[in-house]
Amino acid sequence: MKYVLKKLGTMIITLLLISFLVFAAFSVIPGDPALSRLGTNATPERLEQLREEMGLNGSLMSRYGTWLAGFVRGDFGKSYSYNMSVGALILDKLPITLCLSLLAILLVIVFSLLIGIHAAKHEGKLLDRIIVVINQMIMAIPPFFAGILISALFGLGLHWFVPGRFVSYRENLIGFLGYLIAPAVAIALPKIAMAAKLLRSSLVEHAGEDYIRTAYSRGNSTKGVLYHHALKNALIPLITFWGMAFTDMIAGSVVIEQVFGIPGIGRILITSIANRDYPVVEAIIMLLATLIMVVNMLVDIIYRYADPRMRQSNG
Amino acid sequence: MNSFWAKNRQNRNFMIGFVISVLMLVFILVGFFITPYDPDRMDASSKLAGLSWKHPFGCDNFGRDLFSRVMEGAGTTFLIALGTVGIGVTGGMLIGALTGYFGGLVDEILMRINDAIFAFPSILLALLFISLFGGGSFNVVMALGVAFIPSFARVVRGEFLKQKNLDYVQSARLAGAGHVRIIFVHILPNIYPVLLSTFMIGFNNAVLAEASMSYIGIGVKPPDASLGSMLSEAQSYFFTAPWYALAPGCAIVLLILGFALMAEGIKKNT
Repeated sequence: MKYVLKKLGTMIITLLLISFLVFAAFSVIPGDPALSRLGTNATPERLEQLREEMGLNGSLMSRYGTWLAGFVRGDFGKSYSYNMSVGALILDKLPITLCLSLLAILLVIVFSLLIGIHAAKHEGKLLDRIIVVINQMIMAIPPFFAGILISALFGLGLHWFVPGRFVSYRENLIGFLGYLIAPAVAIALPKIAMAAKLLRSSLVEHAGEDYIRTAYSRGNSTKGVLYHHALKNALIPLITFWGMAFTDMIAGSVVIEQVFGIPGIGRILITSIANRDYPVVEAIIMLLATLIMVVNMLVDIIYRYADPRMRQSNG
Repeated sequence: MNSFWAKNRQNRNFMIGFVISVLMLVFILVGFFITPYDPDRMDASSKLAGLSWKHPFGCDNFGRDLFSRVMEGAGTTFLIALGTVGIGVTGGMLIGALTGYFGGLVDEILMRINDAIFAFPSILLALLFISLFGGGSFNVVMALGVAFIPSFARVVRGEFLKQKNLDYVQSARLAGAGHVRIIFVHILPNIYPVLLSTFMIGFNNAVLAEASMSYIGIGVKPPDASLGSMLSEAQSYFFTAPWYALAPGCAIVLLILGFALMAEGIKKNT
């Protein structure tokens, strides 16, 4: 419990640091957002009024304070280019990106376990070698290229789904999840290959160790030893990898949303970067950072409880 | 270098990767000087033309020769990845070597910051950078380079921690070698296989990041061809002209695969 609190504390401090850096970075860039919105022939009075409205007056620290207080309450300010609040713009898109990443990590966990164990069981045989070669190939395919191939092959070719016809989760939850399968596969593929490779080599490594021999000599079946003894230990490094894969895929969904025409967080982020709509960019970066930090913290905690050696040392 | 070559030549992964990489490098290097056609020349009569002896990879929707464009685009992607890794390696090596070798409070602080940045996916960091300073090749290199420093610093620091208490470092110190000499002359040559494979994996991540960024339209600006931007243009023509997407896509895959296989081989032999 003490460990969880300590991790939580570190996470909050890190997030505060990141939020300040992000806010400061957007504050010091040259250019006056109020001026660029009104144009060069705006009257000074109107300009001053707009600056006040947009919260551009005051010292850096006081503006940061206001922004942070708003952020914590869920008020992310107002978008420059869309005449609406940032919250209204992004909050209902967040579940889309989140569902996509969750679906992808689910695929990664299930398939990396299946393939990794299967390859380790048949180590050195033809099947194992084929899996190793295919893994190596898949790791080299960028998710967005895989996405293009998948949407062409399974979407336009086999008509399993219609690329571009996104279904909102408000209208049809099943259809929404169904549409997300293809992009989830695209971002999950290289991670599955990497995780399966990691699991295979870590299982093979453990298979040579003394405790496995002891387990066999005590009369355990191959299956029992594999699942009960070797897998338990091999899973520990895999948990860390899954955590990293998950945060990577949250960021990667920004790109894959473009491939499949999904109106999620990624699309707004990209248009906002192009439009220099800083409040939106700030809010999205901070939301994604928070999400990533929470995932990292959870992984650290799970890791600690999965590995008895970690529990004993007071780190 | 000779023993390095002798050791890795036995490894099948390394050799396949080496052959792929050399072929890709030759393809890119030749492309810097000469391409069969001007990559930007449009030709209305060969719009989306298929594969032929005249156009080995076909043509795009403006009738531009894809072989020439892939050559140019692969060059752009390659240079950006190289620049990125250059910045990442230089920065990462300095920070990693100093913190790993000297330790202490500075190490503690720098590693905390490092961990915080490391936990942040590099593509997000690069997007943040681009939204602050704008797109273009130079900014992409800077953005990705800075985003890559923490991962290199981490590896280098770990290696220095391992090496600094070994006998050969102790005896060098007893022989009167200074810190700078120990870091650069004694320890660095001993960790280069690790550095090399990290460098190659970093290169691949940079290729991937650059391609993703130009695919979503934030990164290299037209008329510069980049493999990522070509793919985004090609996507809507996949059924009428699959070669349009496949040519740049396969170039990315081969670029990554070559270095990944080599890194794999080097890792196995260390």
